[in-house]
Amino acid sequence: MNEVALQSDTREIVVEANLPHAPEVIWKALTTGELIGRWLQMTPTGFEATTGKRFTYQTKAGGAWDGVIHCQVLEVIPHRRLAYSWKGGHESNSGYGSPLDTVVTWTLHKIDQGTRLHMVHSGFVLPKNESAYTNMSGGWKKVVPRVGEVAGEQG
Amino acid sequence: MIETLPINAVMRALADPTRRALFERVASASEITVAELTKGSGVTQGAISQHLKSLKQAGLVAERPEGRNVYYRAEPEGLAPLFDWMSHYALFWHDRFANLRSILKEIDP
Repeated sequence: MNEVALQSDTREIVVEANLPHAPEVIWKALTTGELIGRWLQMTPTGFEATTGKRFTYQTKAGGAWDGVIHCQVLEVIPHRRLAYSWKGGHESNSGYGSPLDTVVTWTLHKIDQGTRLHMVHSGFVLPKNESAYTNMSGGWKKVVPRVGEVAGEQG
Repeated sequence: MIETLPINAVMRALADPTRRALFERVASASEITVAELTKGSGVTQGAISQHLKSLKQAGLVAERPEGRNVYYRAEPEGLAPLFDWMSHYALFWHDRFANLRSILKEIDP
C-alpha cells in the first residue's frame, strides 16, 4: 500500500435526527453563540454565520496542543446548510490531541413533522501505522462504521 | 513505543471474528448479561465469558455486577488506541445531539 492511498483513507461520522421543530428554530440553535455554547458545551469565539468567518473553540488541552479548535465558515445557506472547518491538534501528539483537519457540515431538510437534521464530521485520517491495520485483516473496517452507528442511534 | 501494547491488545481482541461480533452486540445494547449474549449465539456460555474477559482486558467492555447477574457494556473509549479522534468525536456528537434536542425543546416547546 502506498502512503498516498493510505492518507486519503479518511472516515466520517454521520449523525441524523428527525426533530419536531422548524428549520428556522434549529438554524437559530446552530448559529447563535449563546445557544451553541449550551448544547455543544463550548462557546465559540468570533463565530458568525458568514462564509469565510474564522472562529475558535477552546477544549481540553492535550500534550503540546493548547486545546484550541480553529474553525472557518465554509458554506452558509440559511435554514438549509452550514459547513465549517474544524482543525486542531499537534504533530507531536498521538491519540487525543493529534493533528485534526476535518469539516463539520450540517444539513437541514424540512419534513412534515419538523426537520431532518443531518450532520457529517468528515476528514478523519486513520492512524498511519499501516501494519496495525493489515494485521487486523479488515476487522477494523467493520468496527469503525459501528462507532458511527452508536453515535447515530440518538436519531 | 508505549502505545504498542494497548493497540496490540485491542487489535488482538477484535481480530477474532466471534469476539468482534460479540463486541458489536454488546455495543448495540446499553447493557447486556452473559445469558442474553449466549442466547442464539451458537456458542457456549463459558466461551462467551472467556471472550468477554479478553474484551475486558483490552478495555473494550466493562462489567457491573448486580445481584446474581453481571451486566456488560461497551467502553468505546477502549477503541481510542485505534480510532483516536474518531471515537472521541463519535461520542462527542452523540452527546451533543442529545443536548441539542433538549435545548430545542426548551426554546420551542
